[in-house]
Amino acid sequence: MNLTRALRLVSTGPERQALQAGEVDAVIDAAGGNVILLPEAKRALSSRGGEPANSLLAALPRQDYQRLLAELELVPLACGAVLYQPGERIRHVYFPNDALVALLVVMEEKSLQVGLVGREGMVGVPLALGVEQASVLAVVQGSGSALRMKAAGLVEELGRCAPLRRELQRYAHAELVQARQTAGCGRFHEIEGRLACWLLMTHDRVRADRLQLTHEFLADMLGVRRVGVTNAAMALQRRGLIKYRRGEIRVLDRKGLEAAACRCYPIVSALAG
Amino acid sequence: MAASKTPMRLRLYVANGAPNSVLAVANLAAICKKHLRFTFKLEIVDVLRFPRRALADGVLVTPHLAKLSPAPIAKIVGNLSDRSSVLIALGIRT
Repeated sequence: MNLTRALRLVSTGPERQALQAGEVDAVIDAAGGNVILLPEAKRALSSRGGEPANSLLAALPRQDYQRLLAELELVPLACGAVLYQPGERIRHVYFPNDALVALLVVMEEKSLQVGLVGREGMVGVPLALGVEQASVLAVVQGSGSALRMKAAGLVEELGRCAPLRRELQRYAHAELVQARQTAGCGRFHEIEGRLACWLLMTHDRVRADRLQLTHEFLADMLGVRRVGVTNAAMALQRRGLIKYRRGEIRVLDRKGLEAAACRCYPIVSALAG
Repeated sequence: MAASKTPMRLRLYVANGAPNSVLAVANLAAICKKHLRFTFKLEIVDVLRFPRRALADGVLVTPHLAKLSPAPIAKIVGNLSDRSSVLIALGIRT
């Protein structure tokens, strides 16, 4: 959003004075019901120490990132928000900063997690492969922010920016591997090892020891009933690897959790970049 | 005056992590420490996480400081760097 548009939204009063003095970070658009960040705030919030928080964006040459930034909009993502329904047309892609998004396959009114997207990735990979429709349900599982880009903007950039194309192809492959591993994992691996694997993947993406995970989310993650989740979590807790209580899991022993995880974790994490 | 025994209730709306908001928090902390000691209650609302709250409270921009009590209520927008006008608006200095 440029200053002119901000000034239009805030036409009078001390708000306008503060805006003109450069003392404002964000304007609340009452009509649209959203928060619009001014360019400097957007730059500050989408980068840490000058580097973009999202790894895909951080891997781009500086000038490409700067150009993309003009088309990227910082948006807050609240836990539970649905970004895409299966079959729905993709309107935006999302590069999470600290938000966590689960990709779920929905069958027979149940869902199974087939992917997890955090700061290492992008939500909306089909677009990078030339497909305009979402194939999975994308739900925010950890509140935070993301940089959002219009689908048309991404398609245009893919045509002009080889590094972005390369990064997204690499990431699409990583996501494909993750989904394949999930298929095998669910069939052959024990719940305890699978839970450890998903917890490590969540831990990698959130980069915090306290993971806000609801019981429903864990059940979806593993495609099992809630009692199965409880048993597996209690088993990991007995081994001193996590502290488990409803709604929150604390990682106490990362190395131990890696040892407890099924063999899918090293395969998936090596590709996550 | 600041010596009033009723704690001053303040609410600061910020876009957490954005430069002016960071500055406003730091400036307000310094003002509270120096002029209000422990006689204040401060709530910080991150509008990026709670946009509806800001909308409901009629907040148009961040940073935005609201003095909720004692009367008269007041609002101050901006990064609170102009300390003397903040003190006047809060009724700490006349």
